[in-house]
Amino acid sequence: MMLETNKDKLLKIAVMGEIVSPSSMGYRVQWDGKPKLALGMAGIKYNLRVGDSCFGWASGDHVEPGVTIRGKEKPSPSECALALLACIGNEATVVSGDAKGEKGVFTGRHAGSDDLVWFPPETIEKLTIGDKVQIKSYGVGLKIKGFEDIRVNKCDPRLLDSLGIEVKDGKLVVPITAEIPGFLMGSGIGSSTVLETVDYDIQTTDPKAIKKYGLEKLRLGDIVCLKDQLCVNGRGYYNGAVTIGVIVHGMSDYAGHGPGVNPILSTKDGKVETKIDNEANIALYLGLRDKL
Amino acid sequence: MVKTNKEKLLKVAVIGEITHSAVGPSYLTKWDQTPVLGLGRGGIVYNVRVGDPCFGWVQGEKVEPGVSADGIGNDREKGAFRNLSCIGNRVKVLKEEAKGDWGTVVGKVGYLPGRNHHVVIDFEEETLAKLAIGDKVQIKVYGAGLEMTDYPGVRVMSCSPRILEGIGIEEKGRKLVIPVAKVVPAEYVGQGAGGSPPEASNWDIQTQSPDAVEYVKSLRFGDLVVLEDILSAWGRGYYEGAVTVGVVSCGPSCSLGQGIGVTSLLTGKEGEIEAKIDSEANLKNLIEQGGSE
Repeated sequence: MMLETNKDKLLKIAVMGEIVSPSSMGYRVQWDGKPKLALGMAGIKYNLRVGDSCFGWASGDHVEPGVTIRGKEKPSPSECALALLACIGNEATVVSGDAKGEKGVFTGRHAGSDDLVWFPPETIEKLTIGDKVQIKSYGVGLKIKGFEDIRVNKCDPRLLDSLGIEVKDGKLVVPITAEIPGFLMGSGIGSSTVLETVDYDIQTTDPKAIKKYGLEKLRLGDIVCLKDQLCVNGRGYYNGAVTIGVIVHGMSDYAGHGPGVNPILSTKDGKVETKIDNEANIALYLGLRDKL
Repeated sequence: MVKTNKEKLLKVAVIGEITHSAVGPSYLTKWDQTPVLGLGRGGIVYNVRVGDPCFGWVQGEKVEPGVSADGIGNDREKGAFRNLSCIGNRVKVLKEEAKGDWGTVVGKVGYLPGRNHHVVIDFEEETLAKLAIGDKVQIKVYGAGLEMTDYPGVRVMSCSPRILEGIGIEEKGRKLVIPVAKVVPAEYVGQGAGGSPPEASNWDIQTQSPDAVEYVKSLRFGDLVVLEDILSAWGRGYYEGAVTVGVVSCGPSCSLGQGIGVTSLLTGKEGEIEAKIDSEANLKNLIEQGGSE
């Protein structure tokens, strides 16, 4: 069903970023004390798309699907308009280089490396590090009528409409692929009271926990539920709270890190319930893939 | 007494200076979306010391007891001050009115604006009265690399031999039984995850959800605590069955995911560490006051 929202009153604003080069910090110590040379953050990833697995990429750590861009108008990308205003599902346009004029979709923000955009394979082949990408930001301030207490974050109205949400007994029922216990939430928790610019990680430090909670099934773009987690301004533990989020990057071997989540809906007032649906992934919802 | 390698540890000097109180340029927005000024981080806090309660300070936000210093110089030099200093290490004031007075390291706190870090130091009241923001302090670092030789799976960090020997560890079979004021479940443990190295900075016990606040309301600065299912070996993260023993180094927070700061001292993931509740398990009884060295 279509939820009633204030989408007709939302401002649509252009924000800009540039495709950034991968940057390596050299070897870094994993949770178990072994060194790792990680890859998969920033730049152009030719063979990693939204909908692919979070796990299993050789030397991959925090792998980001598609193309990574970064705002440039301030020294810190996290302070740029792109970081604050771009919403998952927003239209992206290449505005310089060989792919000028071609379209893509904004798919999330990873605070460690920055803003992620999906482009069709034929566009990706034409892109160059340094190309400029403009996003039509649309979604900041989005509210659901009758559910104003639910914090909506980084969510294009098109994504909200495609989530397959049903209203039942005065509650929203949201399809998700997995329910994550709150105590698994790690890096990013507590950092900054700004919700829009920071993701936070489902910790994949403990191999036992990866198995026990089925984390190895997680895919980039999956819609998941974080139990007992409140994401209004900042993010953290709150007994009984529910947060719905989108997986934006892959697993990690660094202590306290793992697949990153951009919260899109959050409440502590019991207005959100979930149901398991293995197809709950933005790659299908936003038409980026025909199947997973 | 637990056997250690303390005879082989290097003793090294690191230098820092007393920070300014770290209040932001604007109001903080609390988790419930109301504004607060938030004070008590950094600088010199005259009327809060180790042993005092964490909760109840008006508009307090991550209150650090006593004096907070950070390293000076380039990033490597600051890194030495932050990573090598140990709880229980002695600190000498180098210049100005309090020159020659001594204090003791009681906590290490990170996640400050601008990626700064504080080493929290206890001084006697008469020294506090003489100190000024910007005064230089030198720490005689002793403890980096400390190991319990019969327990190779347990990592020791930020812990001087004096504190390790003073906290009342008992050996029971192949286990270390450690007196702590509180055992904190992983669901309450927040910011700190992902941070590395665990020698610097801290974990936070989240203080927004009413059940969490109720559970930790009796904590005091300097209390020893256990964080359950938390590993702080090579970075900080959730690990079922792991244990982190730490010391309360700063007070509660109004920001989601943040709260009472805990500096890691010991960690193991194979069941080597057991907690024994003891409401007196607090640094106050272990630190040397004033004096020379």
